[in-house]
Amino acid sequence: MLLGLGAAWLIMFIYVVLITLRERKLRKELDRVRRMVEHPNK
Amino acid sequence: MREKIIIGLAVFAGALLAWNMNTIFTKLPDELNQGAIYRIIYFHVPANILGMSGFGLGMLFSIGYLVTKDLRYDALAASVTEVSLVFASIGLATGSIWARIIWGVWWAWDYRLTSWLVCWLIFGGYLMLRRAVDEPNQRARFAAVVSILGSVNAYISYKSIEWWTTQHPQPVLSIRNGGGMAAGMEAPIWWNVLALACFSIILVMVRMRQESFAREIDTLRRMAHAQ
Repeated sequence: MLLGLGAAWLIMFIYVVLITLRERKLRKELDRVRRMVEHPNK
Repeated sequence: MREKIIIGLAVFAGALLAWNMNTIFTKLPDELNQGAIYRIIYFHVPANILGMSGFGLGMLFSIGYLVTKDLRYDALAASVTEVSLVFASIGLATGSIWARIIWGVWWAWDYRLTSWLVCWLIFGGYLMLRRAVDEPNQRARFAAVVSILGSVNAYISYKSIEWWTTQHPQPVLSIRNGGGMAAGMEAPIWWNVLALACFSIILVMVRMRQESFAREIDTLRRMAHAQ
């Protein structure tokens, strides 16, 4: 039973970590592209 | 506002889950034939309910995109489907562990398990397809078609335990006229469905924000190339 419970929470935890990493990556990329559009010569 | 809704939902879902876990582990008796292991049902069934209904909801948003060509429907469909796939994965994993203990095998190729695995693979393919196609409207159109096909398969999987004889048990919940559980044992399933549904709404909201970031990045890139 604990194995099943552990598996359920592990899958959820991995997904939350992945979604958090993706959010960080997207924010960085958005900042980079915004700077690129605002200052095209840099 | 979005942050406040997310925090509010997280607090409500966390409190509900904690209270329900206390009921499940300290107040409910063991099941007559299976003993304590039957408690996996309190995660297995809610995860699969959310997985199946989420795939259906994703299909409705996909149809919404096909009718209106509004990419916000596509973003909603992608977000809901991805979160539903996580719950379907939990359903498959908990089901397999439960099967190992009760049936003595990790897996049985019966109609229910096989159709649900095929459904999981279709929606895994749906997410891979979205990464493979760059043009937003083409991606949304292809993904919508896969979502509709996958949801038909999800419905077949849902009905499979009524249509065919399977190793997987027949319906036990009272809403499907199963009647296989005592009332006190069934209620915590629905409380967990509610708590996990709140978590899934939070995840969908976060994914929607990411989809809007991705759209903005795409627009800015096009502007940068045009300069």
